[in-house]
Amino acid sequence: MRRLTGTFLGYAILVFFGLVFLYPFFIQIASAFKTQADAAAHPLSLVPHPFDTSSFQRIFDSTDFPRWVGNSVLVTVLVTAGRVFFDSLAGYALARLRFPGRGGVFATVLAVMAVPGVVLFIPKFLVLNQLGIYDSYAGLILPLIADATGVFIMKQFFESVPPDVEEAARVDGAGVVRTYWSVVLPMARPALITLTILAFQGSWNEFPHTVVAVQSPELFTLPRGLADLVSGSLGKGTQYPLKLGAALLATIPVAVLFVIFQRYFVRGANEGATKG
Amino acid sequence: MTLLRERGTRRPDVVVPRGRGSIRGPEARAGWLFVAPAAVLLALFVLLPVLMALWVSLTSWNGQGSPFTGRAPFVGVDNYTKLFTEDGLARQDFFTSVRNNLYYVVLVVPLQTVLALCLALVANQRLLKGRTFFRAAFYFPSVTSSVAISVVFLFLFANSGTVNAVLGLFGIDGPLWFSDSRGLVHLVLDGVGLVNLDAPPAALADHGVFGLSWWDWISGPSVAMCTIITLVVWTTSGTFMLMFLAALQDVPVALEEASLIDGANRWQRFRAVTLPHLRPVLFLVLTLGLISTWQVFDQIYVMSQGDPAKTTLTPAYLSYRTAFRSFDYGSGAAISFVLFSIIVVLTAVQRWLLRERRG
Amino acid sequence: MRNRLRRRAPLAVVAAAALFASAACGSGFDDNDKSGSAQRSGPASLQILFGSSGDAETKALQEAAAAWASATGNKATVTPAQDLAQQLGQAFAGDNPPDVFYVDAVRFADYASVGALEPYADKISNVDDFYPALRQAFTYQGKLYCVPKDFSTLALEINTDLWAKAGLTGADVPTTWDQLTAVAQKIKAKGITPLALGDTRDRIGAFMVQAGGWITNADGTQATADTPENLKALQYVQSLLKNGLARYPKQLDAGWSGEAFGKGKVAMTIEGNWIKGALQNDFPNIKYTVHELPAGPKGKGTLSFTTCWGIAAKSKQKEAAIDFVEAMTKGEQQLAFAKAFGVMPSRQSVSQQYLAQFPNDQAFVNGAQYAQGPVNAPKMDSVLADFDTGLQKLATSDPKAILQRLQKNTEAALGG
Repeated sequence: MRRLTGTFLGYAILVFFGLVFLYPFFIQIASAFKTQADAAAHPLSLVPHPFDTSSFQRIFDSTDFPRWVGNSVLVTVLVTAGRVFFDSLAGYALARLRFPGRGGVFATVLAVMAVPGVVLFIPKFLVLNQLGIYDSYAGLILPLIADATGVFIMKQFFESVPPDVEEAARVDGAGVVRTYWSVVLPMARPALITLTILAFQGSWNEFPHTVVAVQSPELFTLPRGLADLVSGSLGKGTQYPLKLGAALLATIPVAVLFVIFQRYFVRGANEGATKG
Repeated sequence: MTLLRERGTRRPDVVVPRGRGSIRGPEARAGWLFVAPAAVLLALFVLLPVLMALWVSLTSWNGQGSPFTGRAPFVGVDNYTKLFTEDGLARQDFFTSVRNNLYYVVLVVPLQTVLALCLALVANQRLLKGRTFFRAAFYFPSVTSSVAISVVFLFLFANSGTVNAVLGLFGIDGPLWFSDSRGLVHLVLDGVGLVNLDAPPAALADHGVFGLSWWDWISGPSVAMCTIITLVVWTTSGTFMLMFLAALQDVPVALEEASLIDGANRWQRFRAVTLPHLRPVLFLVLTLGLISTWQVFDQIYVMSQGDPAKTTLTPAYLSYRTAFRSFDYGSGAAISFVLFSIIVVLTAVQRWLLRERRG
Repeated sequence: MRNRLRRRAPLAVVAAAALFASAACGSGFDDNDKSGSAQRSGPASLQILFGSSGDAETKALQEAAAAWASATGNKATVTPAQDLAQQLGQAFAGDNPPDVFYVDAVRFADYASVGALEPYADKISNVDDFYPALRQAFTYQGKLYCVPKDFSTLALEINTDLWAKAGLTGADVPTTWDQLTAVAQKIKAKGITPLALGDTRDRIGAFMVQAGGWITNADGTQATADTPENLKALQYVQSLLKNGLARYPKQLDAGWSGEAFGKGKVAMTIEGNWIKGALQNDFPNIKYTVHELPAGPKGKGTLSFTTCWGIAAKSKQKEAAIDFVEAMTKGEQQLAFAKAFGVMPSRQSVSQQYLAQFPNDQAFVNGAQYAQGPVNAPKMDSVLADFDTGLQKLATSDPKAILQRLQKNTEAALGG
């Protein structure tokens, strides 16, 4: 009997919090399909009355939404690819290869992980200016590829892999690069997938960097465009269905990825955690 | 997992010749080659900016021309003393932001940790069905963009929004969330009848430190800040829940069964077996929580921009605003370095505190 | 020990090299004295950045720019800014600011004092035709830097339907503070919120002017915030707020008071002539009339808001830019803009024509005679933002304390 109440209580808590965590998204979806008057008048109801897709029309007509999506896709793809490629290289080097300065580089990686992002607002702007890539795609993408956490994760992973296979390849006469490319990398698939997910999530949702690095509207990514829609000069009045619709569209790609690759997201969260 | 790691670092001496053999050279070259791109990017976009910011914080650069020529007036530590010793708007704004962030941290970190732990404990019950679904539901907010979530919460907490509608169902007249700058502690004291909000006690209101009166210091987070606190707790609990879950699943079953045989009840079992095992993860969650809560920016930028009445102003946002809106890059940089120091100090203190107890 | 050094040394070299390299070939910054001389020749390609009030303004400006471009054989690219202040700030720090851009009078002194603006105003034809008060707003250290493109003033808008519902007629339009209070009480008695008032100095400041006070003296060199006149004004507004005769927009669930007015939540509001376009677009069913603001103890007073055409000191196409501004500020062009998105021409010579087309704007135009422009001193941004913070809490705090704080901060900003 006690076990039954315990289980029942457990379910009750789970359901309650499940609702609390998911309800805002349901409201968001419902309100995006409401008219402005309906959204203002019935903030609780999950049923649009009437069902109205005009906010989505307006999103595509009067805002630069398609461009924001295009920019986000470009940035995310390049940053993710860059991070996965360079971080796995660096992580392998730090874990397996011996070269002078290795300790120093690793110490730098650790130190960089400790720097809070906010400290970098102003100076990143300075560096971009000095390098002449402010307000350009290069300025938007390059700094995001710098990712100390990714290097750390890959290093941890490579250290946990038994070196037997590599040694065997080396003895067979394969050079370092060949060993890495054909032998080690295929073994690293789980870590690489995790890194991909983390990098995708990080770069798709990245916001402060886009505030500092660009100012031309042509270079806006989705979060930046969304933020201006809400609080910038486009955000006149309280047009909730429009803003919620845009936010909804911004969330869908990540949501889809999440549902498919849930396992790797979860693993990524744990791996990212072990950096502490 | 740990066993695997140990095995990995022990390299058999016999296969790879040490010393300056022919293998060493290419290995070192390959090592540098592999590490170079990532290292250069990190040096260029993290190390270099930090050094540059340090220099700028010692000047009063206003954004025109380069700050590295002699043109930018060098003011030494003026930007820092302005924040601490000089009685003026800069110091007041800075300590207002510190106060706001302090209350924010004090509320968010315990709340999200406790919530994450509870959810993890409940979701860990082996007998419950649908655990994967719930786990996904709790974690989902964490993967979405903070900007998108801010938009949703702006809607939920609008004056005639969802939250107030729910409160209305219970007959409560919800406050005007985003325009209410009254502090929680003030409201509680007022509600209990100790003080009158409109006429604060002179002893507290007339004296103060760092430009804020004692009455201002004890205000607690404002009602508007509470919406942001809710948002952040809601968003980040999922991530930490996953970490706790992973650790909980690691608790050796043998230990649990042993304590069961010993006759320990649920609570004793939790305290004696589970909690100590969770210590490292708890430590990690607290550290990560501390570091991220002191840097809160996105939500402030999108939702409130420091309003109402500067009660949602945080050091990170203040640094941004001082630099990019008021064109006072020197002060902005100084604020961000002070924030950096605060984070480092707090993290060190926390490590020291928890480390001692372990002994 | 040697090992550690060996490990650290390469890293140090890399870091130092990076530092020197980037500092040396820092192509991002321009030295001021170099840019003045290098002017591009041939057909110009102007970059124009502006803060748009809406689609109407964007379209009008694009059409005007295209017309100028085809008439002169140049190119003109018009870009609406998402956040003009921030974008201009970052642009000035970089190498390539836009050639022509809006400069709000509020930020004018900041830009002028750091040398970002080109003082071209003497090259515009008939400069004295612009209203003197507006020219004063764009004069820094005795030099007129840029010409105002248009202006707005605040006036009292009245919702005629709600007005009638409260049993009031045209004769009841308040012309003094006391009348305003009386009328508001009558409206409140009928269960209607009387007045929507913005919670910033850009609305409440009008009362300060009506009482005979202001934040600084005429040429922006001294702080005059803590005066009995300003105190009277703030106390009056506080009484309106406390008695429920006036409400801030956020309290009415609106982003600005024009929205509250358009949604029919209030009988009166104090807004500038931009409210015409907003109401026409978003709330076309509201019937309203416009009147001059009620006079205070010292007489009539209102606030003016104006923007000028700024030309970047770093621009490499100044000739073309000046020509562009000349075209945009011609009387006929100003009238065309006025028709398109509801601003008032800044040239006195066309004011009669304007009133002939828009007789309802009489109250706004009259305001130009007694309007107070924005604070014309650099580095006042955070001080004024702090003042706004105080005003947000005006209903529950001490006006004297707010003014004292403003005085202290203004003195620090002006003196130091």
